[in-house]
Amino acid sequence: MEQPASFDDQLASLLPRLRRFAHSLARDSADADDLTQATIERALKSRDQWQPGTRLDSWAYRIMRNLWIDTARARSRKSAREAPEEEGLNIGDDPREAMDASVDLKRVMAAMARLPDEQREVVALILVEGFGYREVSEMLSLPIGTVSSRLVRGRTALLAMVGER
Amino acid sequence: MTEDEKFFAWLDGELTPAEAADVEAKVAADPQLQQLAEQHRALGAQLSGAFDPIAAAPVPERLQAALHPSADLIDFAAAKRARTRPSLAQWAAMAATLALGIFVGTMVPQRASAPVEVQGGRIYAASALNEALDTQLASAPAGDVRIGLTFRDQAGEICRSFTASASSGLACRNGGRWQLKGLFAAPEGQGSDYRMAAGMDPNLAALVDSAMAGEPLDAAAEKAAKDKGWK
Repeated sequence: MEQPASFDDQLASLLPRLRRFAHSLARDSADADDLTQATIERALKSRDQWQPGTRLDSWAYRIMRNLWIDTARARSRKSAREAPEEEGLNIGDDPREAMDASVDLKRVMAAMARLPDEQREVVALILVEGFGYREVSEMLSLPIGTVSSRLVRGRTALLAMVGER
Repeated sequence: MTEDEKFFAWLDGELTPAEAADVEAKVAADPQLQQLAEQHRALGAQLSGAFDPIAAAPVPERLQAALHPSADLIDFAAAKRARTRPSLAQWAAMAATLALGIFVGTMVPQRASAPVEVQGGRIYAASALNEALDTQLASAPAGDVRIGLTFRDQAGEICRSFTASASSGLACRNGGRWQLKGLFAAPEGQGSDYRMAAGMDPNLAALVDSAMAGEPLDAAAEKAAKDKGWK
């Protein structure tokens, strides 16, 4: 982004990418859009905490990831009391279904959904969202070695699930 | 960094040129590592292929709307809070609606069958609407106009809410006639069937709540009020 754009404009232009990241985290399209909406609302409310000159995308991704952790925690407490968490993809009215994705693409998404949260977020941020190790380490407040080892485990597990090509 | 981590960091372009050259030499000498590199490059392409369409797809309207919270036209929570007593804003909105009604009313040629007529700056029910308000009971709908609630307002006059083909509204007795207190158009593209299923227009609901004194009349009281000429 060369010219200085307003906070609102920048956030608006980030929306499609934030939504993609939400779909990596949330496994289910309705949850992903709820998460995206909550992230926008939180970002608008906390706009004073963003320092101009720093990357707005990293800041917003971080908000989304932290909101997701809160949601996931609340859910696992709830599901521990109620029922075992459903496995795999929820394929209700998922727009991804309508995209006529090949079997391979569905398989890789289903595999992503089965990764543990801490591996999935690192895989998504680096291999899908295109952030560097250092950026992710700062975003998640993790040592870079932890990012790197989670990435190895995550992508190795993914490859095993997707099968050989 | 373990050997594995170094290999992947190389794949991701995260190594310094010197380190990268080192890994590259190792890979060049090892067909197994070459195969692994290929597999992981293909995996990366699959991930992009699966998730990139989401970023390329149009952002749903509700997410766009979340960016502009001030653009909300109706604050339902506030409308609900205001139901205990009519708020200034509500009456201002009502006045605007009526002003529009008067404007439209004066622009529309008065025909014998027009459902409203304007007199002395007030809008009154006419023809089919007037007849429905006069004669119909909520329990016995007939024709295009359906009666909703019947109740007394703070001045003690009888009011009735109604739904017609593309609008809904509230009329109260004034000088022996039905004066329109509000008329709300159905959202575009929504016919009366939809509105019946979805319940009362929220603007109308807010108006009814603010105008009503006590409870709506039940079927027997509605019939009794009708028999007494809505007095």
